[in-house]
Amino acid sequence: MEYVVRLKDLVKDYGGRKALDGITMQIEEGEIFGLIGPNGAGKTTTLRIISTIIKPTAGQALVCGIDVLKAPNEVRKLISYLPDEAGAYPNLSGEEYLKLMASFYFESGKGIGEALEEGRKISGLGERLKEKSSTYSRGMKRRLQLARTLMVKPKLAILDEPTSGLDVTHAYHLRNVIREYARTHSTTILLSSHNMLEVEHLCDRVSFINEGKLVESGSPQELKSRYGARNLEEAFMKVVGVA
Amino acid sequence: MAKEVKDLLRDPKILVGMILFPALIYPLMGAAMSISTGSVIETASANMTIYMIDDDGGPLASTLKEFFRGGNFTVEAVEGDPASMAASLHGGDVLIHVPSGFSENITAYRRADIGIFVNFKEFSIVEFIKAGRAEGIVRIFEGAITNALISNAFPNAKAEDILNPVKIDYNSVIRGEAQPINPEVLQNTMRLQGAMGPIVILLVLILAMQVAATSIAVEKEAKTLETLLTIPVSRLSILFSKLIGSFTIAFLASVATVLSFSYYFTTVLGTAAVDQGLDLSVLGIGPSSTGFIVLGATLFGALLSALALALTLGTLAQDVRGAQSLVGVLMVPVIMPMFFIMFGDMSSLPAALQTALYLIPFTYPMLASQALFTGNYGTVFVGLAYMAAFTFVTLYLAAKVFSSERIMTARLSFRLGRIKR
Ligand SMILES: Nc1ncnc2c1ncn2[C@@H]1O[C@H](COP(=O)(O)OP(=O)(O)OP(=O)(O)O)[C@@H](O)[C@H]1O
Ligand SMILES: [Mg+2]
Repeated sequence: MEYVVRLKDLVKDYGGRKALDGITMQIEEGEIFGLIGPNGAGKTTTLRIISTIIKPTAGQALVCGIDVLKAPNEVRKLISYLPDEAGAYPNLSGEEYLKLMASFYFESGKGIGEALEEGRKISGLGERLKEKSSTYSRGMKRRLQLARTLMVKPKLAILDEPTSGLDVTHAYHLRNVIREYARTHSTTILLSSHNMLEVEHLCDRVSFINEGKLVESGSPQELKSRYGARNLEEAFMKVVGVA
Repeated sequence: MAKEVKDLLRDPKILVGMILFPALIYPLMGAAMSISTGSVIETASANMTIYMIDDDGGPLASTLKEFFRGGNFTVEAVEGDPASMAASLHGGDVLIHVPSGFSENITAYRRADIGIFVNFKEFSIVEFIKAGRAEGIVRIFEGAITNALISNAFPNAKAEDILNPVKIDYNSVIRGEAQPINPEVLQNTMRLQGAMGPIVILLVLILAMQVAATSIAVEKEAKTLETLLTIPVSRLSILFSKLIGSFTIAFLASVATVLSFSYYFTTVLGTAAVDQGLDLSVLGIGPSSTGFIVLGATLFGALLSALALALTLGTLAQDVRGAQSLVGVLMVPVIMPMFFIMFGDMSSLPAALQTALYLIPFTYPMLASQALFTGNYGTVFVGLAYMAAFTFVTLYLAAKVFSSERIMTARLSFRLGRIKR
């Protein structure tokens, strides 16, 4: 079967600094996959390559068998990306923003309307969607962005630290939305996080990334038992050899 | 994309700066000019009081008074020390001091003194005009005296021929035809008409560059760029929608500028030129409608080049402030041609400088605004082709940057003057 994401020996060199040093991994259809690692490990770099924003120095990245370097426009039709720091156009209301973004994915008014309806539901922002997005709190902005990412029903949703910097209630809401959405739409989700506990509850499978290398992969359950750890945090520390 | 244009038009800065301002500046200037011209003309013809200290009391002092009355002056006799007397008058008031011996000196063929005191309070144009009017009467009086003296001495000759034994017949050859025009008059008329064009061209160019240069930086700052780069829209369409957005604004701005400029030309300056007894269009060097179309075309071409350049370089800036300081740097090649062309003449510049100017696309609208009078369109047409090529190459570079990852990662640093990746 064809993998939704397939990375082969991916290397990214930022002018002398190796951010990625040979990443190989694959994600199956319908999986919620977590890429976890400390700051500067190379999570964002990996996600940006898959999202066609930056180009790998060496190696290959395929989305549903399509090479991101050879056919980026084809890849963009399959994915939807939530950057770690994302904003909306400050002069638009939340609803106008969702409508504008939906219009890039759908030609027909019907398609746009359906996406907008889905976006409204996902955001859970209700009447506040009529207000300018510049008036939103950080948590609301993130909800709007998650709604924008998922409403277009992508084959692959790429979420870079979807809950970082949010309080418990917003983070909880977002996690629930992601889990629910993946289940009902059988969308493949690739997310990054440095919050190991969150990932443990959310992801079917995870990979530890450290200093540009994948150091361990498996389901949270497998990893914990393999390292005799109570949680993923402990497992990670054992893998990188600190604990 | 319509989104870009609507978004830009919603921005009041752009609407006012790029469309309203150029559309209104010339008519406003025209109105200001005709209002002040009106008050000047009024001053020049209105009845005016002249104060006179007559220490002479002779017949020629009386004649002088008659001359003033004939020139629509009311002569008010005063007495005392002329300087302190003049100091007590209003701004623009003129005091004439006729010293004793005035009449006697003139009749004895000796040069006679006369004092003119002008009280300046505001140094306004009205005060200067009043002073000039008073002196004018004295000069007419002097002319009459001269004629009388010459007629006395040479009863058979005309005074005019003795005073100016050589008469110059001025001819300005314009486009192969000799016209009886004093070059000085021609120069004054043309300078008056030519000076204002480049300044507004400059303003429109700088504003357009601001819009284009910041268009990507704005997305970077609002953190919308990263998302924009992953939507299923090709990078080229993103580039072109950014361009079309800025172009639409720039196009409206050039139309507004040219219409307003031609209005200013044909109405306000038209009458000013006629006042000087010189109608440029009769001479075949007045601005023609073809001239305005060519001016519009070069302005549009320069705008396209400016936008393409600003957009390309602006893409490399980290944030809006960086993009704005970039526009500051780009202003140098915009202003340079203006200075050289306004205050000099292309053909008299050193060859290297000429080449440099011809390589700057912004030179051509300036040349076109000159060509309105000179009819020298050859260079302008070459310039149009050059600007098209320049725009094309710049856009090619922009497309390169847009489809590379540099649009995300470039850090343009002006202090170091190099591009870090
Ligand atoms: N544009 C860039 N230029 C140079 N180096 C970069 C650039 N972007 C990232 N890096 C470097 O690449 C490495 C990996 O960065 P990356 O952003 O992928 O890490 P991350 O795992 O997402 O970290 P975080 O958890 O802090 O978001 C870091 O050392 C970072 O300094
Ligand atoms: Mg990151």
